[in-house]
Amino acid sequence: MAVKRDSRRLFALLTPGTVFLGIFFLGPLAVMVVFSFLEPGLYGGVEWNFYHWNYGRILGWADGEWEDFDPVYAEIFFRSVRLALTNVAITLLICYPAALWVSGLSARWRTFVVFIVTLPFFVSLVVRLFCWVLILRPSGFLSSTLLGLGLISEPIDIIYTETAVLIGMAYILLPFMFLPLYASIEKLDHSLVEASYDLGANPYQTFLRVILPSTLPGIAAGSVLVFIPSLGNFIVPDLLGGAKVLMIGNLVEQQFLSARNWPFGSALSVMIMLVMFLLIVIYLRRIGRSEIVR
Amino acid sequence: MRHPWLRRLLDFHGLLFLFFVYAPIIIVVVYSFNSHPVNMMVWKDFTFDWYLSIFGNPTKLNEQTLYVESTDQLLAAVKNSLLVASTTTAFSTIVGTATALAVYRHHFRLKPFYQGLLFMPMVMPDIVLGIALLVFFVNFGIKLGLFSIIIGHCTFLISYVFVVVSARLAGMDDTLEQASADLGANPWITFRRVTLPQILPGIVGGALLAFIISMDDLVITYFIAGVDSTTLPVFIYGMLRRGVKPEINAIATLMLVFSFVIASLGLYFRKRT
Amino acid sequence: MTGAAPEPIAEVREAVKRFPAPEGGVVTALDNISLEVQQGQFATLLGPSGCGKTTLLRTISGFEDLDSGEVRIGGIPVTGVPPYRRPVNTVFQNYALFPHLPVSGNVGYGLEVAGVQRSERDRRVGEALERVGLSGFHRRKPAQLSGGQQQRVALARAIINQPKLLLLDEPLSALDRNLRQSMQLELKSLQHDLGICFLFVTHDQEEALTMSDQVIVLNQGKIEQVGPPEVLYHRPATRFVAEFIGDGALFHGKIQNTDADPVLVTEDGLRIAVGTGPGVGDSATLIIRPEHLSIAPEDPDDSMGVLDAVLEQMVFKGATRQYVCRLANGAAISATPPEASEEAFIRVRPGEPVRLAYRRSKPHLIVETN
Repeated sequence: MAVKRDSRRLFALLTPGTVFLGIFFLGPLAVMVVFSFLEPGLYGGVEWNFYHWNYGRILGWADGEWEDFDPVYAEIFFRSVRLALTNVAITLLICYPAALWVSGLSARWRTFVVFIVTLPFFVSLVVRLFCWVLILRPSGFLSSTLLGLGLISEPIDIIYTETAVLIGMAYILLPFMFLPLYASIEKLDHSLVEASYDLGANPYQTFLRVILPSTLPGIAAGSVLVFIPSLGNFIVPDLLGGAKVLMIGNLVEQQFLSARNWPFGSALSVMIMLVMFLLIVIYLRRIGRSEIVR
Repeated sequence: MRHPWLRRLLDFHGLLFLFFVYAPIIIVVVYSFNSHPVNMMVWKDFTFDWYLSIFGNPTKLNEQTLYVESTDQLLAAVKNSLLVASTTTAFSTIVGTATALAVYRHHFRLKPFYQGLLFMPMVMPDIVLGIALLVFFVNFGIKLGLFSIIIGHCTFLISYVFVVVSARLAGMDDTLEQASADLGANPWITFRRVTLPQILPGIVGGALLAFIISMDDLVITYFIAGVDSTTLPVFIYGMLRRGVKPEINAIATLMLVFSFVIASLGLYFRKRT
Repeated sequence: MTGAAPEPIAEVREAVKRFPAPEGGVVTALDNISLEVQQGQFATLLGPSGCGKTTLLRTISGFEDLDSGEVRIGGIPVTGVPPYRRPVNTVFQNYALFPHLPVSGNVGYGLEVAGVQRSERDRRVGEALERVGLSGFHRRKPAQLSGGQQQRVALARAIINQPKLLLLDEPLSALDRNLRQSMQLELKSLQHDLGICFLFVTHDQEEALTMSDQVIVLNQGKIEQVGPPEVLYHRPATRFVAEFIGDGALFHGKIQNTDADPVLVTEDGLRIAVGTGPGVGDSATLIIRPEHLSIAPEDPDDSMGVLDAVLEQMVFKGATRQYVCRLANGAAISATPPEASEEAFIRVRPGEPVRLAYRRSKPHLIVETN
């Protein structure tokens, strides 16, 4: 429709969202970035001086003067990246064959299975993690069942290990991997697979040369969507990792709710955000905007 | 398929997958009816007592175990959650829909900027948004409480509504609106008689999605909730941190049922054409 | 034009419309176009895709604004008048039926929006549906109709408001060939009965020739020629029109005189006899239609032109046969001789030489005077 007549309507429709997100989304992010360059006050709070050692501290130098080099925060940061990457691999290995399986079902079953796979996604995060607390505790379901069956002689203790954290994270982020994968596998032209068989390729070759390349966008989208929330997660390590498996998210939480070093917490948060931006930019460059699947 | 053994292997994996997804949930539901007072995971008898006890009814079990959490606090948390969720749903549905209509029914230069702006809150890690809002509110002297929670939820729920409604708008043929104008309907009538009926399933689906995400949000609320404005997920998280108690089974089961009902409704509306 | 000429129902004056091209730069969709359509006329905008015909239609219906120039409907300028206040209606290419409304809701939409009473509306919806042959389909949803039926609903919906001008944007392009041909005739008779002016957009020259009183040929945002179908076919004004409408071989060259009869000499040296008229030295294009050609008799007279060619193949087309030949310069030329003279052709085998002949006065010559 003609541009001139519409401009007032466009303005009216656009203003509420622009104002709200401008103030309450971009605003807070900007304030956080500013805070990450301020000097922490002695008893919480901030001094309004430019201070870049918040970032130095992440790498191991707390103030560049008195404290010794100690890369404890960098270690936590890299552990978080490692766990997030492992989680991407786990969810991919679980979801890819599952998505293949669903796409091979009859149309009615397919809709139903996609529905029931999506359903737990809507269940509260705490509830879903609580399930695993119950299962993985020493007196929990897994331990008591195995004891009852006589497979083990004393309670096993999985909770408060990296394994527990990985199980919990994979569980809560499963749909983020499954849905984009399923969407791209669903889009796959089945006659390509048939053509590959027709030309003499075996299932393994067909998968490697035809199916995998054409579902790469789904793999990329799923990986980004799983990696980002894995990296900054603090609820899962808190409930299933205890104090033993600290991730960057726990560190941020501590800075804000117990250590009261807000500038350092902000700096850590900015780091998480930068990793996210980096990933999104790489993703958009390589895969393209049209493939964004929620 | 030409390779039946492959098919069978996939079937097996699929069943394992569904088992992995549903077993934990089923365990919680089943054991919420277990009357064993000491070890929750050893089955004793069927009982409704945990459900009664969370609503403050005296039962034999809590005499023995004294696991009682304050029922008043729980109910207050539920009330807060419902209040926050309904307010945020109303606001973000209206703003998200308006923005989707602006972006997907008009041509303007800043369109890619808006698509990016609306995409960002959905991929922003919860913890980043949570602490950014906390710093913002405290810095500008906005009291932490229900109001700050509502604002915080709206920042990302607008995006969810936007995405769902946009998908619907993108799937809608825009010559329908031109046909309406061509037949003499002014823009308002066209919106009411053509556009709205076409995108209504998307709006309802988006609203339900917003409602359920708001009800479930833990991380962002955790940072910006005031002392006296706890929501249900934050309340349960607090309980869990202090130790696992059988009542949580019952609360979790009730929340599961609630989420399933709303999610089913939402998916139903999103699928409907 | 005489003073008694009727007021044009719609008029476009010096219309210019430019769009930013996707790959940068500017596309001129309408390049200073002026035209008028008269009361009761079946007019067609014909041109290849991207020639600006749909843009022109949309500036009349009000979905596009002109950069300069103006549109008048019923003598009144409509610049800045939104689509919903213009006395024109459109049949959209994809029909644009409202999927959530039944047939009656779709057809009655314009009346309802205008505030026409329920009883009056029902009566007129019934009439309109009867007119397009869909009585009894009131309650169906668009999704339950076939393509042809949807097309009729769209038509009924557009004529119920009794517009001064009905715009049709390639409405038949989605139908299969048989249905399209019967719809062409139906549309023509509907237009005749209603007496409304139809402005029809198509890229299909056969469709344009079948239906129209007046055809407006557009190319690259400019009008190539306006006229009745017969004129466009037999006396195309430009090379573009000659190529776009009908089959035929085109020869471009300069006119030379040998022995008093003018001859067209192409750049690659082919000499083709033409009728009288052009002056020596003019650039010209000759259009030889297949039906102009037959096998040359033993002793062709002066009124005939002769072309030496080789028969390549015979194509059976049902009612006619087409003989595809190749000339000495490598150009292909087709002949569809009348049945009486076909016997001569049948004796020729593919690969054998053949002498083609035509009446000099028949092929049209476009002269571009220098």
